[in-house]
Amino acid sequence: MKKVKDIMSRDLTSVTEDTPLKDVAEVLSLRGINGIPVVNNKNEVSGWISERDLITNIFPEKVKIENPDVIGLGNLSQVVKKLTQVGSAKVKDYMSKTFFPVKEDTSAADVAELMLHKDLKRVPVVRDKRLIGVVDRVSLAHILLEEGSLD
Amino acid sequence: MFVTITLNPAYDHLLYLHDVEIGQMNRTHSTIQMPGGKGVNVASTLAILGEEVVATGFLGGQGSRMFEEALRNIGVTTNFIYINREIRTDFYIIEEAQNRQTLFVEEGAPIERRFLNSFKDNFDRLLTSAELIEIGGSLPNGVSPAFVKELIQTANRKKVKVVLNVQEHIIKDCLCDGVRVFILNPDMRGCEDLCGKNVCEIELRPPVARDLFIAKGADMVILNSHSFEYTVVTKDEAWHGEIEPGKSANKLGVRDSLLGGFIHNYLKTNNTGEALKYGLGAVLSTARHKEHRNHPNSKAEVEELRLMAKVRKVS
Repeated sequence: MKKVKDIMSRDLTSVTEDTPLKDVAEVLSLRGINGIPVVNNKNEVSGWISERDLITNIFPEKVKIENPDVIGLGNLSQVVKKLTQVGSAKVKDYMSKTFFPVKEDTSAADVAELMLHKDLKRVPVVRDKRLIGVVDRVSLAHILLEEGSLD
Repeated sequence: MFVTITLNPAYDHLLYLHDVEIGQMNRTHSTIQMPGGKGVNVASTLAILGEEVVATGFLGGQGSRMFEEALRNIGVTTNFIYINREIRTDFYIIEEAQNRQTLFVEEGAPIERRFLNSFKDNFDRLLTSAELIEIGGSLPNGVSPAFVKELIQTANRKKVKVVLNVQEHIIKDCLCDGVRVFILNPDMRGCEDLCGKNVCEIELRPPVARDLFIAKGADMVILNSHSFEYTVVTKDEAWHGEIEPGKSANKLGVRDSLLGGFIHNYLKTNNTGEALKYGLGAVLSTARHKEHRNHPNSKAEVEELRLMAKVRKVS
């Protein structure tokens, strides 16, 4: 059975808890990814920050994107104010401290189940807490489709 | 874990044609695109030899994802800082009728201060688990030799070995003020001499290497005048090695393969002559690569081909 080490992307792209959110947005945009591990000064994973964390914190709760009629001038000024605050804020204030690391020898089936169950697009791969790569749902799906099974 | 640093990587394009007619339209019959840059080449060799290696530096633009993917496919872990510009493209024109290779090298994109700061923060984190770092290649606009010297000094403070695989002018600015370098591999492509000293003759290399570099903080120096002969000089000894490349040998990345092979073997054996022989095996495996890559075919082939290297102690 395929293991995480066979399917993971050996990529250490990450941010720290002190990275400004505008830098996170730039990293996600330049790389075309939707989430990124947060690490400490030893490259140990301490959290996860995604584009969803950014978006949900930029827009005030009562503003519904799907209903633009509710964005009146009052709400718009709230959005602008929030954008200014969020841009200079740090990752530690907005990251998810609940994250789901997997290990190199975790089976591909277990990772697939985890990602589907928790609705995760990417998960960090760790060795002794240190980041050594990521598994993303697209790559996992590609491997499953290519091989027809997880074996 | 090893960390290789390529501050000015290139997306290499190999263009194959029968021969070039200057001033005319020329059609290639095949092309290969692959990650390039001295640090990247060393990382590729180390990964093929089974080492855990992280490649870092600056990437950006459309080709960068393919660049990283190609490295990961051979076992290199990537950790590049993305900039908001395209990285450079280098073109290798390979004329098969002439058995001639011509290289066009672009200047790198300028690197903004904020990306340099991100790189340094990331570098500090990588050092916590690094055994050795290798800094290779040219510098892009906005990056000075002082920046390289700062990286070396940071590694020195953390007792991480440093391999410097750069051009002469960068070495001059870095090898001073007590800086320590484990292996110095001056980039001598297109050079007749080194710091005004002739190093074409093998006998001249040990005194030049000791006077210019070992006295200033390098433990080992690798010198060469072409891709298939190398001299390794330490404070106490010097070894020279050669290997016969055969016809139509690929020269792309072979100097970096020598370095990767040497590092891999020396850290296991502590034997300069054996490590040089191993490095030459990596050189020949790269030169013979079926798909003209800038790294060896396989570890098994390197170990077989090293037996063809002629290595002798010269001082």
